[in-house]
Amino acid sequence: MELPVLNETPAASAGGCSSHSCGSSDDQLGHLSDEIRAKVENHPCYSEDAHHYFARMHVAVAPACNIQCHYCNRKYDCSNESRPGVVSELLTPDQAVKKTMAVAATIPQMTVLGIAGPGDPLANPDRTFETFRRLSEDAPDIKLCVSTNGLALPESVEELSKHNIDHVTITINCVDPEIGAQIYPWIFWENKRIKGVEGARILIEQQQKGLEMLVAKGILVKVNSVMIPGINDKHLAEVSKIVKTKGAFLHNVMPLIAEAEHGTFFGVMGQRGPTQDELMDLQDACSGDMNMMRHCRQCRADAVGLLGEDRGDEFTLDKIEEMEIDYQSAMVKRKVIHEAIAEEMHSKRAKKDEAAAKHAEAKKLDTRPVLMAIATSGQGVINQHFGHAKEFLIYEASPNGVRFMSHRKTDLYCSGDDTCGDGESVLQRTIRALEGCEVVLCSKIGYEPWDMLEKAGIQPNGEHAMEPIEEAVMAVYEEMAAAGKLDDAEGRIRATA
Amino acid sequence: MALKIINTCVNCYACEPLCPSKAIYKAEAHFLINPRKCTECDGDYDTPQCATICPIEGAILDAKGMEINPPGSLTGIPPEKMAEAMAALQAH
Ligand code: SF4
Ligand code: SF4
Ligand code: SF4
Repeated sequence: MELPVLNETPAASAGGCSSHSCGSSDDQLGHLSDEIRAKVENHPCYSEDAHHYFARMHVAVAPACNIQCHYCNRKYDCSNESRPGVVSELLTPDQAVKKTMAVAATIPQMTVLGIAGPGDPLANPDRTFETFRRLSEDAPDIKLCVSTNGLALPESVEELSKHNIDHVTITINCVDPEIGAQIYPWIFWENKRIKGVEGARILIEQQQKGLEMLVAKGILVKVNSVMIPGINDKHLAEVSKIVKTKGAFLHNVMPLIAEAEHGTFFGVMGQRGPTQDELMDLQDACSGDMNMMRHCRQCRADAVGLLGEDRGDEFTLDKIEEMEIDYQSAMVKRKVIHEAIAEEMHSKRAKKDEAAAKHAEAKKLDTRPVLMAIATSGQGVINQHFGHAKEFLIYEASPNGVRFMSHRKTDLYCSGDDTCGDGESVLQRTIRALEGCEVVLCSKIGYEPWDMLEKAGIQPNGEHAMEPIEEAVMAVYEEMAAAGKLDDAEGRIRATA
Repeated sequence: MALKIINTCVNCYACEPLCPSKAIYKAEAHFLINPRKCTECDGDYDTPQCATICPIEGAILDAKGMEINPPGSLTGIPPEKMAEAMAALQAH
């Protein structure tokens, strides 16, 4: 049996229908123009393919914010962009430039520098734009991107367009001020603090205006939304539709993370986050109108390295002070390495396309879909020990092929072992994070977790170590089909909803 | 007459650029207001700008030593709820 990979199938081979909602194959980025594809090809946050190979980093230079979100506790961090409770090292623009160049020289796969939280980059225009200005001059091979709440966006578009910035992320949680008032208690606007519906109305107007202005300038816009059950969950499909109509190219729906110990309004008031099923259902509801970004890791504001890994410790302030960086020669090296990676990606992709084309001709199975969790540290293969995985990639296997669904972090629901209120073990927490999955694929797994996974109805599997993820997922799926495990039409996926 | 920033300030830099009197400066532990320069924004704005953007309840005091943004006024979290959550946390 062949290897079908839905996310990788070119739209052209999708048999006339390239929409995700009709269930046929679709490249995640299939609807994009060649020009935009070229822009995102080596961007780890936008290209599902690229994020296995290329790295990104964030620098925290912008601590001030001009709004308040109910999921944020400003004593710590922008919990929207980073793990709550983890305070990032605040850098001056000077330090940020030095750190970025040090990382780019040491980790040549680093292609993207982002400025996000804590704070709002555009509420700190001096610090943010000085960093961008200097990097676009001294390190032109680094892509720059910025995340914003959007309040100061319209006045910033002109300056943004002058640098190497072709990606902007706007966090848009609503288009209805009544809903907005339940998410944003106040904004700072024209030298006044404006509360409630009026503040939310201004914020929403600025976000939408900023989105339109960026699109008009040809700058790519991704929209992030935080899914808050009972507040904006029903509303986000509408948000998705609107931002797509206006030209946003990706919509990333993220789960609310709120625990009392984060000291946020939502945390303290007991607002719950969505379950994995609710999140996936909403992502599906949105994706009819919008290609969804499913591999976002909600990384820390100062994370360094490939998505899912953090090499931040190698680049602390005292360490970078001592580094001598010859960026000119680093750029030469970087170019060679980037080209080699691109070549590898292209040949892998060509193979997958070929396999998918064959699969389209093969006889279809008549079985239900299955979710599988993968422990991997990158390169698209199963290469991580179960016990070392801090997150899992979730794939869906079905008669239509293999589809990447999301990432699940094992520590998302808890900020640390000591603070975990219900005394769950790490293993129990991991198992909870894998809710809805029927199989876990990893390179190795110990006896105890094996046992507990089985008891929880999740089959561990270490037989496909070092194999490409999609091939292994399909092989396991076919084994399950052959063993008659997939005949119950209802399926486990929805059964847990 | 001058406002005062106390040690609950989280050094977010938001207030400093807004001060029309250039009275706010970064000091060792946290931002401070030079009482000789602070005008309470009189003549420039209707409300003191530092206290109008500050996200931290209680971090800025008025000339009488009263909190300009008392507990609950910015986050909307009722103070007793916050106390409850923190007490539950310490109990663990
Ligand atoms: S925009 Fe970011 S920093 Fe500002 S309040 Fe919201 S989550 Fe916090
Ligand atoms: S009250 Fe006005 S003048 Fe005084 S420190 Fe604050 S911003 Fe500056
Ligand atoms: S705005 Fe408030 S918390 Fe931020 S630096 Fe000023 S006094 Fe400190």
